[in-house]
Amino acid sequence: MTGLMAAPPALELSGVKYSYRRNTALRGVSLRIKSGEVVAITGASGCGKSTLLHCAAGILSPHYGTVRLAGQDVAALPEEERARLRRTKVGIVLQFGQLVPDLSLLDNVALPLLLDGHERAEAQETARGWLEQVGIADEAEAVPAELSGGQTQRAAVARALVTGPSVVLADEPTGSLDSRAGQELLDVLLKSARYRGAALVMVTHDNLVAASADREIRLRDGVIQHEVVL
Amino acid sequence: MATAELVLGLLSAGPAHGYDVKRGHDTWFPDSRPLAFGQVYTTLGRLERDGLVEVVDKTAGGGPDRTVYALTSKGRDHLSDWLSDPVPPAWGSADEVLRKLVAAIRTGGDAAAFLARQRASHLRRIRELRETPAEDDPTSPLVREYIVAHLDADLRWLDSALEHISDQREAHP
Repeated sequence: MTGLMAAPPALELSGVKYSYRRNTALRGVSLRIKSGEVVAITGASGCGKSTLLHCAAGILSPHYGTVRLAGQDVAALPEEERARLRRTKVGIVLQFGQLVPDLSLLDNVALPLLLDGHERAEAQETARGWLEQVGIADEAEAVPAELSGGQTQRAAVARALVTGPSVVLADEPTGSLDSRAGQELLDVLLKSARYRGAALVMVTHDNLVAASADREIRLRDGVIQHEVVL
Repeated sequence: MATAELVLGLLSAGPAHGYDVKRGHDTWFPDSRPLAFGQVYTTLGRLERDGLVEVVDKTAGGGPDRTVYALTSKGRDHLSDWLSDPVPPAWGSADEVLRKLVAAIRTGGDAAAFLARQRASHLRRIRELRETPAEDDPTSPLVREYIVAHLDADLRWLDSALEHISDQREAHP
């Protein structure tokens, strides 16, 4: 029988454990997220949801267990290859945008491409397209201090998506915004991730963000308490 | 529920059939449970008995659907009073989610699983509402925001109930 091999999940965590000095944040978390799927990670403060996201992003290395991106075991790769995989396959949106203060929006968004060795003109052209996609093309030459919170977060979304990642990870993406700006940002994030066909994983305590997901994974004390399809 | 006063409000623009009153209500409150015809006619009958509305036209031999009702001056005063009175805050209304949760805990049911399913159901309802834009009129967006804000408040309570039950389970396994 011929047939297509099933594509590996965009992101897969198996038995991931992580401890800070005195505090165990993750006690063995396993999950699989498909391309194009939107997942909300919820739970009370301190339940391990941000640690989970940081392990998935490669910001933290799990003490046990594996993280696979598009089927590749991240820890098994040589350092250089691992860094490249993180840069190109994973986009990250944090609560406060975390843009470089001295760079224009255009350069902030182009930055991941420049770090990946793209020509400046080409990187800026792609970045401009993403600024347009998230609705802030007119602010391309502004620096972050000149922007509102909502505009900063839109730029962070553009920067996360500019390399064409297969997984977008967002940590409280609407956390610093009022409800209207938060809803607009969420719409931009969902639309952009769908446009790319990327898996979108959002850590959130905001029920209105969780409601936009296909699946909710709820953590408690470093383990999955329940998972529901929405 | 103040259906009687809402019916007075719906008649304040001018005389109307029961059918128009029902349609008007459902337009005022999209995303909410539609008003049943039976309830409209029962309410109009009661308001007529109390002198708050009057019949101004009736097709001979026609049923209630052929009758046109209008607000009386007494009805207009009653509506005006109702609109200016604040609503007393609810205290401890036992809605069905709370009833089920208490019953589940008291009878040894799986309360945590119930809460997880209830959360999912509320989240789905919020998503449905957000996927269809509210009508572009002066009140539909307010109705929508009210419903979403209440679902959100319920969800926050469901969250803390889930934490509470999980804590208790750990303390008394």
